[in-house]
Amino acid sequence: MASGNMKAIKRRIKSVKSTKQITKAMELVASSKQRKAKQRAENARPYFEAQYEMLNKIAQGDGVGTSVFTKKREIKNRLFVVVAGDRGLAGGYNSNVFKMVAAECKDDTAKPKIIAIGKKTIDYFEKNGYDVIQKYPGFAENLKVGYCSDIAVTAVNMFKGGEVDEVSIFYTTFVSSLQQNPTKFKLVPVDTESDKGSKPISLTDYDPSPEAVFERIIPQFLLSIVFCAVCESYACEQSARRIAMESATDNAQQMIEDLSLLYNRARQEKITNEINEIVSGANAI
Amino acid sequence: MNPFKLQIVTPSGVFFDDMSVGVVLRTTTGDKGILARHELYAAALVIGKIKINFPDKTSRVAAISGGVVNVEKDKTVILTQSCEWSDEIDLERAELAKTQTEEKLKSFTENSSSDQRELCIAEFKLKRALNRIDVAGG
Repeated sequence: MASGNMKAIKRRIKSVKSTKQITKAMELVASSKQRKAKQRAENARPYFEAQYEMLNKIAQGDGVGTSVFTKKREIKNRLFVVVAGDRGLAGGYNSNVFKMVAAECKDDTAKPKIIAIGKKTIDYFEKNGYDVIQKYPGFAENLKVGYCSDIAVTAVNMFKGGEVDEVSIFYTTFVSSLQQNPTKFKLVPVDTESDKGSKPISLTDYDPSPEAVFERIIPQFLLSIVFCAVCESYACEQSARRIAMESATDNAQQMIEDLSLLYNRARQEKITNEINEIVSGANAI
Repeated sequence: MNPFKLQIVTPSGVFFDDMSVGVVLRTTTGDKGILARHELYAAALVIGKIKINFPDKTSRVAAISGGVVNVEKDKTVILTQSCEWSDEIDLERAELAKTQTEEKLKSFTENSSSDQRELCIAEFKLKRALNRIDVAGG
């Protein structure tokens, strides 16, 4: 009995050890990828910020209320750009974003259209019967500006053509390596109400006109936020995976320790038994 | 000539952030020169080249792929998708991109049923490749 038990424990220790090796390797890979991804996200940030600042400046102060991008329409159809990972094993990274999207559109009569970035995103939204109009698997790791412009152009055209009345992006913001928040950001229509009441008078000379510059900026703005969101989400994904793998490695280590204890106990028991047998055998003689 | 602060920002980072005495840009309405104490100004840029003059009387040319320029009181910011100095352009790659997109466009015109969006993208790519070749050559 004891020896059979020992064999089983030994086998389990072995299997947990190999699992630990895998999670450890994944942790290391994720942490090196995370460093790179974080750098990329940081590089992209000034571009986005400058773009956003400029967009706001024009939208708040320079009378572009007539533009198709600022006019509020009755929201019937929505387009969501959803950014999540290509792979699982990253804690709640993927599901947090999906949950947010599901919560967002649970009251809607018509399901939103989806532009899905990441294999997991595609799987999820197709399975749940959403209208996935564009799919970008394996997008985040080798991110190119050109692909983002593809998404931006699609979104702008659909909005202009009246197919959708609102475009939002769902992604994960990087707060720290330990904390990432799923976020929704509305791309168009651009909010124009300023809280201050009186609009600041702008002295900027727009060439040829504020509207023209504004309409040129919108696609670029969308591009920059898609780019930024993907960069940031990717950093989050790696970070989430690193944390998940780190705790998996810790758990495996704990399990190995517990099992070793069990194994040693079983072994000791067996030895004691043997001694008992020998002693009682010797006494009998 | 008075220097002013010029920044060129791209999605892959801040490309240029230094003093300049003048910059020539190609906007949607034509070429524009910006010197220190220019009035507040904003314009959309097209695919083309920009020339930056430095305080030490040297100048450099770069290829940009569209964007916007925003002249503020204390600095001028150029936002663009990509920017390359003329002497750092990989001419071979640009030529390759050119021939590839040209072939693609040819195949598009042959079968007219092709996607309008794909066509736009290919045209945009060709324009960029031609611009890069042009800037690197001169």
